[in-house]
Amino acid sequence: MMQISTPFMPEKGVIRSIVPMAQDNYLFEFKTDTDRLAACKPGQFVELWVPGVGECPISVCSGRVTESIQLLVRRVGRVTNALFQMSEGDWAGLRGPYGHGFPVERYKGQNLCMVAGGLGIAPIRSLWQYVLDHRQDFGKVILIYGMRHSDEMLFREELKLLLQRGDIHVFLAADDATVCELPPFAMQVGRVTDMIRQAAIDHDFQVAICGPPVMYKYVIEELKAKHVTDQNIWLSLERQMKCGIGKCGHCFIGGRFTCQAGPVFQLADLKFVPELIECDNGGAQ
Amino acid sequence: MMDHCFVLAKDSFAEFFESLSKLGRVYAPVKVSDQSYSFRQVESHEQIAFEALRTILPPKKYFYPTQETILRYNDVQIEEHKPEIDFQILFGVHPCDLAGLGIMDTIFTAGPADSHYLNRRQSSLIVGLSCMPDKHCFCQSMGTDCPESGYDLFLTDIGDDYLLEVRTAAGVKAVDPIMPLLRAAGQDDESRYKAFWSNRAQAFTNGFKPDNLRSVMAMEWDNKIWDEMADRCLSCGNCTPVCPTCYCFDLVDIASLNGTSGERRREWDSCQFVGFAQVAADYNFRPGPVDRLKFWYRHKLHGFDDPFGFQTCVGCGRCTVSCPAGIDDIVSVVQALQATNQAKTKHDAN
Repeated sequence: MMQISTPFMPEKGVIRSIVPMAQDNYLFEFKTDTDRLAACKPGQFVELWVPGVGECPISVCSGRVTESIQLLVRRVGRVTNALFQMSEGDWAGLRGPYGHGFPVERYKGQNLCMVAGGLGIAPIRSLWQYVLDHRQDFGKVILIYGMRHSDEMLFREELKLLLQRGDIHVFLAADDATVCELPPFAMQVGRVTDMIRQAAIDHDFQVAICGPPVMYKYVIEELKAKHVTDQNIWLSLERQMKCGIGKCGHCFIGGRFTCQAGPVFQLADLKFVPELIECDNGGAQ
Repeated sequence: MMDHCFVLAKDSFAEFFESLSKLGRVYAPVKVSDQSYSFRQVESHEQIAFEALRTILPPKKYFYPTQETILRYNDVQIEEHKPEIDFQILFGVHPCDLAGLGIMDTIFTAGPADSHYLNRRQSSLIVGLSCMPDKHCFCQSMGTDCPESGYDLFLTDIGDDYLLEVRTAAGVKAVDPIMPLLRAAGQDDESRYKAFWSNRAQAFTNGFKPDNLRSVMAMEWDNKIWDEMADRCLSCGNCTPVCPTCYCFDLVDIASLNGTSGERRREWDSCQFVGFAQVAADYNFRPGPVDRLKFWYRHKLHGFDDPFGFQTCVGCGRCTVSCPAGIDDIVSVVQALQATNQAKTKHDAN
């Protein structure tokens, strides 16, 4: 009988550039020989493999994936530590793209607000790049980015350019800031929730959110106060997505594979989901 | 009468076995200790333990080994590992395990399909065998007591004979050489067949009713029963390898000493292990035994929310007999949850 091929085969991605970002974050650009990854949508993820060490899921960070793909990686574990030892010209394995990203087709013709907390900026960047590439398809566009300390700001240069554009409204907030920001940067001391209060968001906005688990609940509360409905709130959730293809079981939320049903979920679709620690919307009651 | 039904005299079983073993290696339940059975390779029909109910591990191990190589790499290339797969015959698979294999098939066939499982699955013949339940069996409650699919041949013990059901083209091919041993089933055989399954249906004693199981699991998510059980849970993970439908795995790299080559391997994993749902930066989505235990129970009894929607417990009772803390007594746990659920419903009604 004809044997089928493994779904776990990565393709080689040669590191084209490594750009150190704030703190322990590097932006890696990989070039692959095939166009498998060119189908990447904002909010999807790939499995990044460092041979001999292991694999980990990383969000797609670039809105335009053609012959190369950008991944923002924070050094936090075994695989990322090993990746940080690599240089331009070395190769790692890439599998994907996997999961459901932000529903950009659905956002078209509507106002969009993007909310990122900390490292959540990585998938949100793929979304804003996509949106700005197709700017005429969208209504008002707002970007809100919060971080613990102004030193931790990622994509500082790119955000400066965004601040200069007239067609995207950018709010930046840090819990704590270095007093003498050099060069001066238009940001506020506060949290993403404070920025949401300031921003001109109302019920007809679609909202895309990605950040640490603790952030979602408060962001959703603020959005509800602005009459944004559950149908218009989209959350990108983090789980241990080991295989990426709905088999290994590590990324289960209740009875669903995050890697297949998500990682981007519509809030309305998360009603009655136990194990959803990100917001009070879940629970099985 | 059903299609392709024959009668095989028990006296002729040796020849039937000989014929099967010409097709490939035969694996069947073998007695390995006073109280345990295990699927092992058998050379002779005399090694088979026909009385075996639940083996230590379910037959999933023949399609989904505890560990297997997925690919090999060196500093220039990555290559898929494609082992030679010999044809194998699994004899003596009971209805609960057939249902378990059916669930595994669904999961591993859903796209993208898992080649490692399916290539082995397609290279095998499954011969089911009827059984009489003991006190831990509750396949009847889970609706998996009558074999519906997942087998090529099925033998029902009807006294001095077996009623042999041929289900698939592979099954037809397998019985072809022994056709002279078989005779068409007559009315008396049909009666004996019906009597067997009717008696078997009466033999389930635990009275477990899975009514509204999904909603009970949902409503009782915060029940204190979970905390009481979790206080005793050792997080040993015994309940998962023994389950016919537990398929969770880990992918690991085994590097050579010089670091330039190695292989990527898949190993069985368990949702009961502390790091199972842990993500980078040590954030754990299921930090306590109670989180992990509840998750497992929910996955078995409430099942998938999507994409499949079905429950994944087949009522084999393996978890119940292999839990060292005695907390995987699914029947008692669900009955307790149902009782609190009923009490709450009554209270709400008042």
